[in-house]
Order: sequence, then C-alpha cells, then structure tokens
Amino acid sequence: MNQAFCRVARWVAERTGLDQVWEALFARKIPEASGIAAWLYTLGSASMFVFSVQALTGALLAMNYVPSPDHAYDSVKFISERVLLGSFIRGLHHWGASFMVVLVVLHLLRVYFMGAYKYPREGTWMVGVALLLIVIGLGFTGYLLPWDQKAYWATAVGTNIAGQTPVLGPYVAKILKGGSEMGAATMTRFYALHVLVLPALALGLIAVHLFLVVWHGISEPPSRKDDGGRP
Amino acid sequence: MENEGCPCAGRDGGPKMTRQGFLALAATGLAAAIGAVLSASGLTYFISPAFGKDEENWIDLGPASDIKPGTPVKVDYVERRRDAWVVNEKRSSAWIATADGKEFTAFDPRCTHLGCPYRWDQARGQFLCPCHDAVFSGEGAVVSGPPPRPLDRYSVKIAGGRLLIQPQPQKGA
Ligand code: FES
Repeated sequence: MNQAFCRVARWVAERTGLDQVWEALFARKIPEASGIAAWLYTLGSASMFVFSVQALTGALLAMNYVPSPDHAYDSVKFISERVLLGSFIRGLHHWGASFMVVLVVLHLLRVYFMGAYKYPREGTWMVGVALLLIVIGLGFTGYLLPWDQKAYWATAVGTNIAGQTPVLGPYVAKILKGGSEMGAATMTRFYALHVLVLPALALGLIAVHLFLVVWHGISEPPSRKDDGGRP
Repeated sequence: MENEGCPCAGRDGGPKMTRQGFLALAATGLAAAIGAVLSASGLTYFISPAFGKDEENWIDLGPASDIKPGTPVKVDYVERRRDAWVVNEKRSSAWIATADGKEFTAFDPRCTHLGCPYRWDQARGQFLCPCHDAVFSGEGAVVSGPPPRPLDRYSVKIAGGRLLIQPQPQKGA
C-alpha cells in the first residue's frame, strides 16, 4: 500500500517537481516557537483556509442567486429554505465573511507586534495591507447582496460616508452606486466586484504574498536583548 | 536517500509512533475530516436538483356541484406555477364534464389536431373544432376529422366538495 503510494508519488514528482514545491511550502524551516507564540504563526494559513471556504461556498451560492432588486431577496430565501443544505452553505459564507476579517486583522496585529514587517519583508507587508483592503471590500460588497433591510441601509450608510469626502466624495458615491440612487445598477455593480474583480485581485495578491513569505522565510519571534537573546 | 522523490519518505516513523508522527497524523486526520464535511455538503448542494420532488400543483376550480351532468362547462382559472424563486401566473381554462355529478373529467381545451380551441354543441352533444371540422364525443373520443387522438385529459380530484385539477395533459384517454 505504502509502496504503491510511493510509486505514484514518485511518478508525479518526477514529472511536475511537486515534491520540491511541497518541500518549499511545507517542509521549509520555520523559527522555533512554542505556546501561544507558535499558534500566532497559524493566523495566515487560517485566513487562507477561510478564503478558500468563501470561494467554494460563494461559487455554490452564485448558482442560485440573482443580483437584481426584484429577485435578490427571494433567491436568497430560496437558497435558505428550499435548496438542500442551502442554509448551511449560506451560513458558512455568512460567518466565514466575519471570521475572515477577524483572522486577517489578528494576522496583521501579530506581524505588527512581532516586528515581522521590517526589512526585508516590507513588500510582504504592503501586499498584506492591500489584501486586508480587499477583504474589507469583499465584506462591504457582499453585505448588500441579500437585499434585506439591513443590507440596504448598511450600504446606504456606507455610500453616504464615501459621499462626505470633500470635492471627490459625490463622484465616488455615484461611482459606487452606479448612479445617484441606490438600486438595480448598485446591485449588479457590487455583485461584479464581489464575485469577479475582488476575488481575482485577491488571488493574484495572495500568490505574491505567499511567494514572498516563502522567499524571505518566516521571521523569528522578537527577543529581548537583556535576557541573552532568548525568544 | 533511498526514498528520494517520495513525498512520504521519512514522515512515517516506523512501528512505534513518535510524538511528531502522532501530531502529523492528527493534523492530517483533522484536515481530512474538515475537507470531507466541506466537499460532501458542497457536493450535496450542487447535485440537490437531481433529488428535488416536483410539486403537485392542484388548482381549485370551485364547487363541484356547479357542473351539471350532461353539459360540459369551460372553466377559466389562473395557474400559479413556481419556478425556483419566481411564481409565474398563467391564465388558462379547461372543459369539465360529468355524467353523474360524481365522476368528473377535465379536458385540455386545445384540440389534439393543431391546438385550436374547440366548443361544445349542446344540440348535437359533441365537441366541435372550427379549424378543420373535427368532432369529438362528450367523452373526448374522436368521432370524425383529422385529430390523431382523443382529447387530452387533466387529473381531477374532489376535495371537500371542490373540484381540483392538475393541468399537465395526460396523453390520450
Ligand atoms: S385544430 Fe382542431 S381540427 Fe385541426
């Protein structure tokens, strides 16, 4: 059994170099840490896991969702009440969205407080900040889609906040809403951003972020000078 | 490095389980369980249309006693059909006939030749189609003319004295 598995694994490895990819990603050297500090290093992977759950559940939800004021609410209700496991899939996407923001922010705090953003990892940090903005953008655009009272008024508030900016504000608000009133054009706009633009950007930036993480290696936990350099 | 090129090399620690081996196994097991739950529920969601039961769509046409034996009546109704999250309304009608006031027959109002609406001729006791002069008996059988089969029928049932039909034609009679 193990023998056969090894043969298949070697066959794939010789043709794809997958073993070296494996080596680089999962068998790479990481700093020694224990206790809570070790757990803090998992926040990035956790964010990526939740991102993939969001992608999967999002694709499934899109199969039954219509981004239009006269169908959005009913199609979401249809998913929750009539599709087999629909409420579970929707629940995962709903809670995953909140959890994603929490994880990404915790990840950022860990990097900040460990000073892991410093030379030579500034690029990783900057891409990470861009990813944080994308996650918030995904949250904002996704919030509108169920088209219930909460969604409608939250987006009204959100776009009005954008409208408060001096000089450019009114234009930004109109661009966000796809017009001067919130309505059908707002939904299709948010939907396109939510399922096409932002995920595509996220995917590209995640690739860069991961490459940089592997390229530079993980930074050590910070150590105090006065206790002999112990972590 | 005799196991070179084998990603599983050196990761299973022989007959005795090491701490590292146990943790690796536990992590892999947990990941597999999470992956299984996710993909199983996702797959179920995806293929669920295959198991969906078609809704029975009975339409209430009013009190059955309104239909008098021997005289078929054309009854108009509005059919509400659910299409996922959309409900479509369609105006339609059916010919209802009864011989004894107990057993009812509902006919599709379109002629089985080319779909013209036919009418009841009380004097002759027959259905007549104006388009190509078809004649059907009161039971829907073809008496003369080009139609290839008797009038199509709908399922009928009586519930609490009210007449219900299910307007999907059942071919023939
Ligand atoms: S359609 Fe009725 S006879 Fe031709």
